[in-house]
Amino acid sequence: MRGEMAAMQFGIFTVGDVTPDPTTGREPTEAKRIHSSVAIAKKAEEVGLDVFATGEHHNPPFVPSSPTTLLGFIAAQTTRLILSTSTTLITTNDPVKIAEDFSVLQHLSGGRVDLMLGRGNTGPVYPWFGQDIRMAVPLTVEHYGLLRRLWREKVVDWSGEFRGALQGFTLAPQPLDGVPPFVWHGSIRTPEIAELAAFYGDGFFANHIFWPPSHTKRMVDIYRRRFEHHKHGAADQAIVGLGGQVFMRPNSQDAVTEFRPYFDNAPVYGHGPSLEEFTAQTPLTVGSPQEVIDRTLGFRDYVGDYQRQLFLVDHAGLPLKTVLEQLDLLGEEVVPVLRKEFQVGRPEHVPDAPTHESLVRAAEQAGESA
Amino acid sequence: MTKLTIVTGGLREPSSTRLLADRLDEAVRAELAEQGVPATSTIIELRPLGRAIMDAMLTGFAGADLEAAFEAVGSADGLIAVTPAFNASYSGLFKSFFDVVPEEILSDMPVMIAATGGTERHSLVLEHAMRPMFSYLHAVVSPTGVYAATDDFGAQHTASGLSERIGRASADFARLLRSCGPRQRRDVFAEELTAMESLLQKATRDDDPGSVED
Repeated sequence: MRGEMAAMQFGIFTVGDVTPDPTTGREPTEAKRIHSSVAIAKKAEEVGLDVFATGEHHNPPFVPSSPTTLLGFIAAQTTRLILSTSTTLITTNDPVKIAEDFSVLQHLSGGRVDLMLGRGNTGPVYPWFGQDIRMAVPLTVEHYGLLRRLWREKVVDWSGEFRGALQGFTLAPQPLDGVPPFVWHGSIRTPEIAELAAFYGDGFFANHIFWPPSHTKRMVDIYRRRFEHHKHGAADQAIVGLGGQVFMRPNSQDAVTEFRPYFDNAPVYGHGPSLEEFTAQTPLTVGSPQEVIDRTLGFRDYVGDYQRQLFLVDHAGLPLKTVLEQLDLLGEEVVPVLRKEFQVGRPEHVPDAPTHESLVRAAEQAGESA
Repeated sequence: MTKLTIVTGGLREPSSTRLLADRLDEAVRAELAEQGVPATSTIIELRPLGRAIMDAMLTGFAGADLEAAFEAVGSADGLIAVTPAFNASYSGLFKSFFDVVPEEILSDMPVMIAATGGTERHSLVLEHAMRPMFSYLHAVVSPTGVYAATDDFGAQHTASGLSERIGRASADFARLLRSCGPRQRRDVFAEELTAMESLLQKATRDDDPGSVED
């Protein structure tokens, strides 16, 4: 398995938006969008990427409301790809259900699963799921505390503020090989999430794509510093993931011309700064594969050596055919160079990207030394 | 050294809003100087930041120029805020600037409010629009604001002449600045981090059966 050996994992993360293609006005059906996500994931594996992560949303125009259903379907049609989320809502999902869903997915996929927890950014989702947005932070802490115990203790007695108590609860199925899926905590702007990841020694994923690098640097610095403070290792041994956003064509100017209408009308940043301003201010890179390589290698300058790089390539109404072409370029021209170049100067003591196999090995070693 | 920042939302060049802002700036510094408190001031014109403010509203982050304006506001000991009155309120540009400033940047900030308008009929914009907004932002708003209508820039013969009102408001604001003293800026980022740390420690203590005392 490729993931086992990789110092760094490369992959894609999807929001799962149904957005009309601004150049044609055509909007895919929900069915088409869901099947496109599957095609994109399969393509990611085919071109040699390591990770596919899906968002979780509970309102139109988004389709991925049930991530483990989607990931289970993809797991059945892939053999190497690590299936992940971006993000799983720790606030509004029942931690018991998260534990169950991901345990089953872990068994079905042979350990090819991890997850990224987040709070979500759509206010009404809280009341829709019977929660109070004003309690988002304590809710996150309580739910995640329970999730950790469900995955680590055979019989759980638990009571808390936001969920009914559990007495003598045993998770079924138990995590594969007794090792829970690796957990990342994803954040755009909140320092609380960096602290949560550092406290437990989990991974920290900086969304990175919407804000300037100075902001990402600050968040990752805090996470690394707090990771060391909580005695999980040195700051440069903390597990960091980054988002990125690219659009490529062999000829740089073709990429800019083709992507501009998608940028200008994108739900997230459209009608604001120009494409040129946004690419200067954020990690968005629109150009040739070489430009993407150079820009991406530069991320290391402000976050240090890191473990996972996910790209957003399938949003804002881009047609499936175009997205698949992007994956070809990523897999054939960009990622092989990134794998090689990111190795240069990477210290021995910086951990490789975590996989199920590496976690099993670590658990065995901990067992032997105990 | 007391640091003043002046935010002015005038649109035209020359602008009567800027004119009022400059006079308030001078008057407050003169008042402070008389009381032996040296002061510096920085003027932020919102018009050149117009696009940057809208971009920040749409993207959620500020470009370099706007970030510099935020820094000038955040690091000040006192703020003088001046807007033209539009449709019985502050201008949209003025409001938008304060809609995109970082959280709690105005907390505990002494603020002097001032506005300009075509006629004196709009003078309550100070009390009905500006004061509540700055109170909401946790600023300490000086009791006396200044409203200047177009006529005020000509007629200085009445008892309530503009210069006199500027003098009164500046004296009040100088007193407020002196009693508030140098401002301690709130660091929301650090506050959130500390709050999270204690929340996590408490949660894991509660979870640990070994820590139960009985």
